[in-house]
Amino acid sequence: MARYLLRQSLNIVLTLLAVTFLVFALNELTPGDVARKLLGPYATQEQVDHLFREMGLDRPLLVRYAEYLGNVLRGDLGTSVIYRQPVADVLLDRLGHTLLLAAICFAVIVPLSVALGVLAGMRERSPLDRGISVFASVCASVPEFAMGVFMLAIFVVWLGVLPGTSPMRATAEWPVWMQFVLPVAVVTLYDAGYLVSMIRASMVEVMRQPFVRTAVLKGMPFGRVVTRHAMRNALITPFTVILLQLNYLVSGLVVVETLFAYPGFGRMMLEAALAKDIAVVEAGALVAVMVTMLTQLLGDLGYMKLDPRIRI
Amino acid sequence: MTDKLHPLVTAAGREMADGKLDRREFLRVATLLGVGAGAAYSMAGLSEPAMAQGAPRKGGTLRLGMRVQDLSSPHTYSWIEATNVARQTVEYLTYTGVDNVTRPGLVEKWEASPDLKSWKISLRRDAKWRKGGRAFSADDAIWNMKRMLDPATGSSTVGLLRAFILENFELDEIDPRTQKKRVSFRLWDSNAFRKIDDFTFEINGKSSFLGIPEAMFHYPAHMLDPAEGGKFGVGSNGTGAFELVELEVGKRAILVARKDPHWAGGPWLDRIEVIDLGDDSAAQVAALASRQVDMIYQGAIAALPAAERLPHVQVNSVDTAYTAVARVHPIKPFDDKRVRQALRHATDTEAVLKVAHRGLGSPGEHHHVAKVHPEYADVGFMRRDVAKAKALLAEAGYPNGIDTEIACRPQPDWELLAVQTMVEQWKEAGIRVKINVMPSAQYWDVWTKVPFGFTTWAHRPLGVMVLGLAYRTGAAWNEANWSNKEFDALLAEAEGYLDVEKRRAVVARLEQIMLDDGPAVVPLWRALFNYSDKKVKGYRIHPTAYIEFREVWIEG
Repeated sequence: MARYLLRQSLNIVLTLLAVTFLVFALNELTPGDVARKLLGPYATQEQVDHLFREMGLDRPLLVRYAEYLGNVLRGDLGTSVIYRQPVADVLLDRLGHTLLLAAICFAVIVPLSVALGVLAGMRERSPLDRGISVFASVCASVPEFAMGVFMLAIFVVWLGVLPGTSPMRATAEWPVWMQFVLPVAVVTLYDAGYLVSMIRASMVEVMRQPFVRTAVLKGMPFGRVVTRHAMRNALITPFTVILLQLNYLVSGLVVVETLFAYPGFGRMMLEAALAKDIAVVEAGALVAVMVTMLTQLLGDLGYMKLDPRIRI
Repeated sequence: MTDKLHPLVTAAGREMADGKLDRREFLRVATLLGVGAGAAYSMAGLSEPAMAQGAPRKGGTLRLGMRVQDLSSPHTYSWIEATNVARQTVEYLTYTGVDNVTRPGLVEKWEASPDLKSWKISLRRDAKWRKGGRAFSADDAIWNMKRMLDPATGSSTVGLLRAFILENFELDEIDPRTQKKRVSFRLWDSNAFRKIDDFTFEINGKSSFLGIPEAMFHYPAHMLDPAEGGKFGVGSNGTGAFELVELEVGKRAILVARKDPHWAGGPWLDRIEVIDLGDDSAAQVAALASRQVDMIYQGAIAALPAAERLPHVQVNSVDTAYTAVARVHPIKPFDDKRVRQALRHATDTEAVLKVAHRGLGSPGEHHHVAKVHPEYADVGFMRRDVAKAKALLAEAGYPNGIDTEIACRPQPDWELLAVQTMVEQWKEAGIRVKINVMPSAQYWDVWTKVPFGFTTWAHRPLGVMVLGLAYRTGAAWNEANWSNKEFDALLAEAEGYLDVEKRRAVVARLEQIMLDDGPAVVPLWRALFNYSDKKVKGYRIHPTAYIEFREVWIEG
């Protein structure tokens, strides 16, 4: 166990190093000049060159990378070019918003998809299964932005019962909790559709196993068979997928955040990348990699709990 | 009137009386030369347009949906969005209106010397800084202008005034890239800005320049309190009607009305909230629909139909000389002018306007001079003629048509739509074009280098300004690498005429050369548009997209 944890930590450090360097180098290779971006199209070339030198961008890539790494190790993530604030401040603020949205979504998505997936999978081809499966595949196949626009058209423009954007600030008409409804609904429908199909398939598989048939033939009530015997086994495979949703919920909400003007992490990363705000992009990449590695760790530990045969 | 008129005003007045000078151009020239807008309108025999929207009501909050950017350095702003927040606090010296007429701002009046090299600027005496109550003075104005023209500041105002008031000089440093001495610039003379008294100063340039009053309305030309060292932020001092009380980049900015009255009257609003809705046009319309904002800074074509359907929203629009042009480098197959002509004959500009810009604006005429330009000359509208395009291609040695590639950007959405529409139209004439869509940042790296590209051009008040920037041989922004000696000579001639009729006659020939030999397809002139709630009054959309909230009020 201790060796496993040590190996994993080493893994995380190496991955972080590789990712930060790749992001740094890729940013260098993509066209566009921060100084020109900051000064605008009418500035003269001398002015752009002046700022370029002032920002230290004329030094070699490796020197700047080493300097960046040194600062990060001291806990200094640098200053954002577009927000003109310490990166840590911007990052924490946006990440906080996204974690809140992600937590609500996760709290809705997981119970909902486990419930629907198990209900559908426990009696394969029953009308309930058919109904849930069709619903799930429709949800999973409509892209987030299309789903968002449909919902906006129905609940905002037509019925006028929900706010159209979520800037996270209460107005007389729309309290903050109402601003969560549409983003959470879009993420949930899109993501749960996929998870439900996944859990259903796994459940169907397990329900066909001999031990389930034995339990049923023994005269055990069907409900107990499902909850006691089938569910636990059926959730082992989807468990990884459920954990992977955490990655998606933290760094993949960019479409929903943009559509609903939600001040979150995904939108911040998109804008920083477009503006070549390297300090923000790097810090964001660090967070995204950390989240991925941690969910992986969690996944391994969780497997051990769910399936006693697995040792790490 | 006791003030004596600038000789050029008298001359311009005579030419107008003789029917040689367009009234609108007379207005622009006369006001630039120091005649008040009201007087100029009456000299032109016109009445000054008034805003008749009822009596303003005091109070209320207006919420504007617009990007909230970093505001810390007004003199280096490169986006209108930033100036739209700061302008409410730190004002400009002048104000160029929707009608192209420049009116006084912090400057009360200006007088130009007969050769247009020396400008005497008189400030109004009743403009007060919000903090301290001190009057806005000549020292303040000079400090701001000198700071903008300092190379260390990095303001785009330099590009505008460089030929007028700056000179180059060599530094002692060697640039490692070029192995030559670095070049910098400075004011050409120690008397370039000369204070006369507390409220009067002089700007002395090395060459003639009519555009000084317009240059003072250039977007970063905010008048800051010198005590704040060029920085701007929450609580910053200003002469404007509002104070910035809250700023979170990427989220929101909040302004409140100043307590003491503003020199120009107003403000009517108590509070302005700027809410950052990102770049998604669907989010903008959604926010309008649920009344989370009362106004959107600028509309996008894709979301226009949705916005038009909201009963409480009105669409504001204004015709401009904003456009984008599909231009080619003079290399095979476009080295032959018949192929360039074929490209124009194969384009249906009316259809492009309808499809790409939903008919908002006017169809392009392939010469880069718009109807809103004073010297525009009507040389006949070029209709689509596919047969002629095919014949021209065959004549040039391409009977089976040509294959090529055009580079363009995905944003704003109308640009890509316009390219797609044109490519479909060209196909029928045998001009088969692949579309290479690249991100904006990437496009701006290569915009002058791609052999065939679609580039956006901003609105400029005069036609000759754009022609000089984009089509003169060797000009920095001549993205088509186009060179035509006759064109260059005629352009220089046109630039020398203050008289618009004389200029128009030359411009007609310039336009004809562009139709015959030019490198560009000009598909449309855009109308700029945005949305506001019908309860927002006193607002008119400006061709520069500047917003001035002092005159705006909310109906009860």
